[in-house]
Amino acid sequence: MQASTGMLTKFESKSSRAKGIAFHPVRPWILVSLHSSTIQLWDYRMGTLIDRFEDHDGPVRGIDFHRTQPLFVSGGDDYKIKVWSYQSRRCLFTLNGHLDYVRTVFFHHELPWIISASDDQTIRIWNWQNRSQICTMTGHNHYVMCAQFHPKDDLVVSASLDQSVRVWDISGLRKKHSAPTSMSTYDDRMSQSNAQQTDMFGNTDAMVKFVLEGHDRGVNWVAFHPTAPHIVSAGDDRLVKLWRFSETKAWEVDTCRGHFQNSSGCLFHPHQDLILSCGEDKTIRVWDSLKRTAVQSFKRENDRFWVIAAHPTINLFAAGHDNGVMVFKLERERPASTVYQNSLFFITKEKHVRSFDFQKNAESPTLLSLKRLGSAWVPPRTLSYNPAERSVLVTSPAEGGSYELISLPRDGSGALEAADSKRGQGNSAIFVARNRFAVLNTATQTIDIKDLSNNTARSFKPPVGTSDIYFGGTGNLLVITPTAVHLYDIQQKKSIAELAVNGVKYVIWSNDGLHAALLSKHNVTIVTKTLEQVSTLHETIRIKSAAWDDAGVLVYSTLNHIKYTLMNGDNGIIMSLDQTVYLVRIKGRSVFCLDRNSKPKVINIDPTEYRFKLSLVKRDYQEMLHIIKTSSLVGQSIISYLQKKGYPEIALQFVQDPATRFELAIECGNLDVAFETAKQLDRPKLWTRLGTEALSHGNHKIVETVYQKLKQFDKLTFLYLLTGDHSKLARMAKIAEHRGDSLARFQSSLFLGDLEDRIQMFKDADQFPLAYMLAKANGLEDECQSILDGIGISEDQLALPTLGEPLSQPRPVVETFKANWPTKATSQSFFEKALAGQLEGLSLDDEPTAATNGLDDAADDDGLTKNGALEADDDEDAAGWDMGDDIVPETDNDFVNIESTDAAGAGSSEADLWARNSPLAADHVAAGSFESAMNVLNRQVGAVNFAPLKDRFLEIYEASKTYLSASPGLPPLVNYVRRTVDETDPRKALPIIPRDLEYLASNDLQRGYDTMKANKLEDGIQIFKGILRAVLVNAVASESEVAEAKKLITSAGEYAVAMSIELSRRRLGSPEQLGATPELQKRSLELSAYFTIPKIEVPHRQLALLNAMNLAYKSKNYSSALSFANRILANGGANRILETAKKIKAQSERNPHDAFEIEYDPFAEFEICAASHTPIYSGTAYEECAFDGSKYHSKYKGTVCTVCDVCEVGKRGSGLKLYD
Amino acid sequence: MDPYSAEGELINLHNHFHQGQFQETVDYDVSALSSENALPARVLQHRARIALGQAEDVIADVEGESKPELAAVGALAALSLGRTDEAVKTIEELAASSGDNATVQVLGGTVLQAAGKSEEALALLSQHSANLDAVALITQIYLQQNRIDLALKEVKAARSWAQDSLLVNLTESWVGLRLGGEKYQQAFYVFEELAQAPSTSSVTSLVSQAVCELHLGRVEEAETALKQAIGKQPDYADAIANLVVLNIVTGKDPKDVMASLKKTSPAHPLLTDLEEKSAAFDKAATKYTAKASS
Repeated sequence: MQASTGMLTKFESKSSRAKGIAFHPVRPWILVSLHSSTIQLWDYRMGTLIDRFEDHDGPVRGIDFHRTQPLFVSGGDDYKIKVWSYQSRRCLFTLNGHLDYVRTVFFHHELPWIISASDDQTIRIWNWQNRSQICTMTGHNHYVMCAQFHPKDDLVVSASLDQSVRVWDISGLRKKHSAPTSMSTYDDRMSQSNAQQTDMFGNTDAMVKFVLEGHDRGVNWVAFHPTAPHIVSAGDDRLVKLWRFSETKAWEVDTCRGHFQNSSGCLFHPHQDLILSCGEDKTIRVWDSLKRTAVQSFKRENDRFWVIAAHPTINLFAAGHDNGVMVFKLERERPASTVYQNSLFFITKEKHVRSFDFQKNAESPTLLSLKRLGSAWVPPRTLSYNPAERSVLVTSPAEGGSYELISLPRDGSGALEAADSKRGQGNSAIFVARNRFAVLNTATQTIDIKDLSNNTARSFKPPVGTSDIYFGGTGNLLVITPTAVHLYDIQQKKSIAELAVNGVKYVIWSNDGLHAALLSKHNVTIVTKTLEQVSTLHETIRIKSAAWDDAGVLVYSTLNHIKYTLMNGDNGIIMSLDQTVYLVRIKGRSVFCLDRNSKPKVINIDPTEYRFKLSLVKRDYQEMLHIIKTSSLVGQSIISYLQKKGYPEIALQFVQDPATRFELAIECGNLDVAFETAKQLDRPKLWTRLGTEALSHGNHKIVETVYQKLKQFDKLTFLYLLTGDHSKLARMAKIAEHRGDSLARFQSSLFLGDLEDRIQMFKDADQFPLAYMLAKANGLEDECQSILDGIGISEDQLALPTLGEPLSQPRPVVETFKANWPTKATSQSFFEKALAGQLEGLSLDDEPTAATNGLDDAADDDGLTKNGALEADDDEDAAGWDMGDDIVPETDNDFVNIESTDAAGAGSSEADLWARNSPLAADHVAAGSFESAMNVLNRQVGAVNFAPLKDRFLEIYEASKTYLSASPGLPPLVNYVRRTVDETDPRKALPIIPRDLEYLASNDLQRGYDTMKANKLEDGIQIFKGILRAVLVNAVASESEVAEAKKLITSAGEYAVAMSIELSRRRLGSPEQLGATPELQKRSLELSAYFTIPKIEVPHRQLALLNAMNLAYKSKNYSSALSFANRILANGGANRILETAKKIKAQSERNPHDAFEIEYDPFAEFEICAASHTPIYSGTAYEECAFDGSKYHSKYKGTVCTVCDVCEVGKRGSGLKLYD
Repeated sequence: MDPYSAEGELINLHNHFHQGQFQETVDYDVSALSSENALPARVLQHRARIALGQAEDVIADVEGESKPELAAVGALAALSLGRTDEAVKTIEELAASSGDNATVQVLGGTVLQAAGKSEEALALLSQHSANLDAVALITQIYLQQNRIDLALKEVKAARSWAQDSLLVNLTESWVGLRLGGEKYQQAFYVFEELAQAPSTSSVTSLVSQAVCELHLGRVEEAETALKQAIGKQPDYADAIANLVVLNIVTGKDPKDVMASLKKTSPAHPLLTDLEEKSAAFDKAATKYTAKASS
C-alpha cells in the first residue's frame, strides 16, 4: 500500500459538513450541499465562491447538476426536492411527496426525470418538466440511502439501511412516458395509465430486478460502473463490495477491506480500472477494481468523509467532509516531456515514449514502452533526453522515487520493452552532460553525478531543503529549494548564485540559453543564466507551463489562458483555453503543446500583440511599421499601452473612433489628423481646442477655419489683420455690416484704413462732430464741407481741439496669408516619418520577410478582439454574483501584479528620447544607443569598420551627461546636456555634440594646416582623419552648415589622400636606396607627382609642387621638373618658392627630357586612387567612398576606405545626415 | 512644531547638512539643544560623518544602540562601507518594525535606493508625513527613474506646504535640470546663491552651480566653478567627473582629469558607464565587416 503521495489537492473549501457534491459537466464548478441548509456553488479552478442558495430548511443531502440545462436539483431533510436555476439564481419549484428526509437526488441522463431516495423507504421518480411524480418504488424496508439511474440502460440501483442493494428495471416507465403520443384523447391516455397504474402488484413501471445481499450492516452508497455491468456499494460494515450482474442474475464479486469505520461513499473511476471510496475513518481509498487490491489511501486528521463524486470527463474527484469539500486528482496529468531541437519526446498515457517532429508536424510510432517502470498507476514524472547517446532518463515518483536510464532503439520503431536499462533511487534525474547525469535524492539530500553506466562519479550535499534540480547551463545545476533557487557549480561543488524565489516548480530555458523562466504556482520569474532576476509577474490563476519564442518572448499557459510576457514584464493574454495544455514549443504563430491526455497539439495564436510590444521595446521601427501596415491591431488595450509608453503618434495609427483619434492627434501635435476628425465630429469644444493647438503651432489656416466654424468674428478679423489678408478683412467688414454690428464694422474699417466708411458710419449714427473731426484730421476738406453743409453750420462756429497725426493703417510685418507661417516643428517621430515614407531605408519593399512570416493574415485579429469581449462578459457575470463571505484567501489579489527589477515606474530617459527622435547618428551615439547609431551610419554612408570611431563615440557619449550630487549617500543624479539649451519639450531636446563644425574648422583644421607647413605629415594625416571622423558623427544647426560640413569633409579627405601619397613615397626608402633601384626611383617620382594632384590649399600645393620639382630635377627628369616649375609660377605666392622655380625652369629648359619615364601626364585629367596611389584617368570606371568621396579603382570595391578608415568603398548609402 | 522649520532649533544644522557643509554639521554645537531634538541632531551629525567618510567611527558609536534611528544610521554607515546586503537587511527589518519613523524612512530610503531597490524605497518613503528629506529622496528616485512628471508633482506638492525652505529649492532645482529651458537659469540661481555666500558655500553647491552653467552652455564659468571646487576638495569625485565632461565638451583632452578620477573614485558612474559602453561598442562593431579585406 502506497503512501498518499499521489493525491493532488486542487481546491479546498471551509464550511460546515458537506453532505452532497456535484460537478458541473463542462464548467469548472462544483455544487456542495451542506448540513447547514446552504448550497454553495464554487469555481474550483479560481477558488471562488460563485453563489449560495438558501431555501431548504435543515440539512441538504442530495444535489445534482443537469447535464445540459442551467439547472440543478437538491433534496433535504425538509422532505423537499427543489429544482433551481443557477442563471436566475433561484429555486424554480419544489417537488413535494416524500414523507421523510431525502437522501439523494439525481437527474436522468436524457429523460426529464429526477430520482430521489428517502428515509420514507421509497424511491421516487419525478418529471421535472411537468413537475409531477411519475413513479414510487417501494420494497426497501428501511431508509433508502442512495438511488441512481444507470448511465445508459433503464435500470436503477438503490442502497438501503435494510442491508440490501436493489437493482430495478424501469423500462416499463420509459415505455409509458416516452411512447409516441398516438393516443390523442384524454380517455385513451387515462385508460393507458390506468392499465398500468392498476397493475399494482405486477408493477410494470419499476420492477425489482435483483436484490443483492452481502453487506451485514446498512448500505450507504451504491453506484453503477459507467460502461461495464458492475456495481459498487459501501456500507456501515466498513466494506466496499463489488457486484456484477447479467440479464438474469447478479452476484457478489469481491470485497475491498480496509476502512476501519463506516464507509459512506464509493464510485468507479470514470475511465480507469479503479474504485474510490471514502468513510468515517477519515480516509479516501483507491482500489484496483480488477485485482481488488488497495492502490492508495489518503487520510485527513480530523474530518470524516461523507460523500465522494467524480467529474464525468476529466480526471477530478471531490469529497465532502466535516469541514468542507476537497477537489483532488489521483495523479499528475502533466505528461513527462522534453524538447531537443526540432523534436519533442514525451510519454503517453500508456507509458510509451514517443517523439513529435515540429517541422513535419508528425508524431512518431512508439519508440519504447515503459510499462515496467514504477507501479501501474503512477505515471512517470520527468523525461530527460541525451541526443549523443540517444537515450532517455525517466523518473517516477513510484517506490519513493526512482529513475531509469534507457537507450532508445536505434531503428526507432516497435514498442520495445527496454532491454538494457539502468535504474536507481532518486526523485529527480537529468542529463547534465553527454555522459553524465545528476540524480537528486530528497530523502538523503544528496545529488549524485553518475556516468552512463550508472556509477556515481561524484556526490555532494545540495543546499538544505532541495526539492528538485534542473539543468543550469554547462557544468551547472539549478537547485530548487522551497524558498530559493541556487545556481550550483558541479565542479566546485558549491552554490555560485542564489535567488530568493518561492516554490519554483519548473525551469524553462530560452532557446538561446541566456535566460530562464522559473515557474512557481502563481509566479513567473525571468532570470539570466547567471541567475539575476530580470522580471517577475504574479498570476492569480495557476501557471501550468511556459515556452520561449525565438525572439525572447515567454509564452506561458495558466489553467485557462495562454499568455505572454516580455523580458521587461509587459504581459498580456493571447487566448483563452478550454482545456489545460502544457506548452512545449513556440514556432511562429504555432504553439505546440501536450494536452492532458498526452497528445501533441498545435494551437495557432496571433503573436501580433506581443511582437508589436517587443518591437516597441526594442525600438525596431521596421517591424512595428510592418505590423501596423499588415495587420489590423486594434483594441483599447494596445492604444492605452502605447499612450502609457509615450507613443501617442503610434496609437493614432490604430484608432478609428474619431473622438479618440482627435485626442491622440492633439496629444502628438498632428494637426492634420486633428483637423480631419474635428470636421467629422464638428463640436464647438473640439474646434476650440484645435484652434488653441493650431495657434500654438502657428498654423493660421486651421485657426482661420476654426474661427469661421465658431463664428468668432472678432478673432477672425484680427487674424486677417495679422496675416495681412486685406481682401478677407474687407469681407469681414461687409459681414459686420450685414450683421448690423457697427462696432465690428468700425474695427474692420479701422484695420483697413477705410476712412470713407468710418466717416459714413459716424454720419449714419448722427455723430457728426466725430465724422467731421475724422475728415478734418485726414485732410478731407470736401468731406468736411459737406458735413458742415449737412448740419447747417459754418466752420468758424466750431472750436476745434488740436488734431493729432492721422492714424496710419496697421501693416503686418510679413504678409503671411498666402501660406502658413513657418509652423512649429511638430514632433514628428522617426516612426511617423517612416509611415509617411519620408525616411530612407525604411520602405516596406526591402523588409525582411522572415521576421514577419504569416503576419499578414489580418483576419485572425478578430479572434483577439473576440477574446477581449468574452472576458469583459465574464467579468460582468461575476460582478453580478454575490461573492459571499467565505471566499478562500487565495483569491485576494485579482490583478496581475508586475514587478520589474528595473523599477516598474521607470520612464524612458531623455537620452532614450534622443535616439527615438533623431535620425542623426551623433544623437544616437549621445544616447548611448551605439547599435542604432552604427546602423544609421551603415545605411547612410556604408560605414563598416567602426573601430576608428570608438573614441569619437565615447567622447560624444561622455559629453552628454553631467553628474549632480543630490541627496547625500546616493549616487549623483545624471542630467542630460543639450545643444538646444532653450528647448523644454524633451521630445525635441537634442544632445550636445562636442567638437562641432565651428570648433573643427577653427582648431583641428588649422592644426592640420600647420603640420603641412611644418612637414609633419605623420601627425597631419591623423589630424585630418580625426576631422573626418568627427564630422562623420556630428550634428549641425542649419542647412547652410551642412554645406560647410561637406566642404570640410572634402578638404580633409583631399589632405589625407595627399599626405598618404607623400608618406608612402617616403617609405620607399632613403635617397641612396632609391638611387640604386630604378623601379623605386621611378615610383618615387610618380608619387611625388601625384602628391600635387589632390585639391589642397594653394600654398600647400606649392609645397607639394616644390617637392616634386626638386625631386624631378635631381633625378634629371627635366621635362617633369619644367612642368612643375610652370605650375608653381602660375600659382604665384611666396617669393622664395617662385625664385627656386624660376631657376629650375631656366635649367630645365635647356634639356627638356626625362631620364625616367614615369606614369604622369601633366596634361591628362586624372584622380588618384586612394588605395593604390595610381591614377584613375577620366573616363575609366572607379568606385568611391560614400562619405569622404575618395576615389578608388574598381577592384577596391568592398574594401574599407583608406581615407576615413570607416566606410566600405563602393557602397552607396543614402548620404550622411547632419541636420534634421 | 517641526524642529527643521524656520523657527525650529535644528534649522541651521539641517541646512548645513543639506548644503553639503558636512564638517560644519559635525562641528555644530548641539549642547544647547532641547532634549527632544538631541536625537535628530545626533542622527544628522552621524550622517554628516558618514558623508565625510567616517562611517567606521559612526558604526562604533551606534553599536548596541536599540533606537531605530540609530540602527538606521548604522545601516547607512554599513552601506557606505560597501556592506550593502547587511545594510539592506537591517533596513528591511526596521521598515517592518518601525516604518513610521521619519529617520528610518529617510535613511532606509537612501539605503534601499542605493541598493537598487527603488520600489521598496518608494514604498517606505511614501509613509512619510510632511518630511522634506523624504520628499527630496522621493524626487531623486523619480528622477533616477526618469519619471520627471512624478518628480515635478512631488515638488509642487511640497512647495505648497513647505514654501521656500532650502530643500524644496534644491529639489526643485534638481527637477529643473531635467526640464531645461529657463529652469536651467533658475536652478543656477539657487545653487549660485548657496555657492557664493561664504556661510553656505560648499563643494557640493559649487559643483551644482557648475553643472547648471555647463547645461547653460557657459563653459568658461563652469570651469571656474569646478576648479574652485577641486581646489577646496581635490578628491571630490563629482567635481572631477564633471570636469571630464566639460573638457570633452570644450574639445580639450580629458586624459589627465580622467586619470585623476580613476584614482580618486574608480567606481564613479561615469567610469563604470564608460566601461560598459566601450564593451557595448566593441560588441556592436563586430556586426559589421567590409565585404572584401583590403
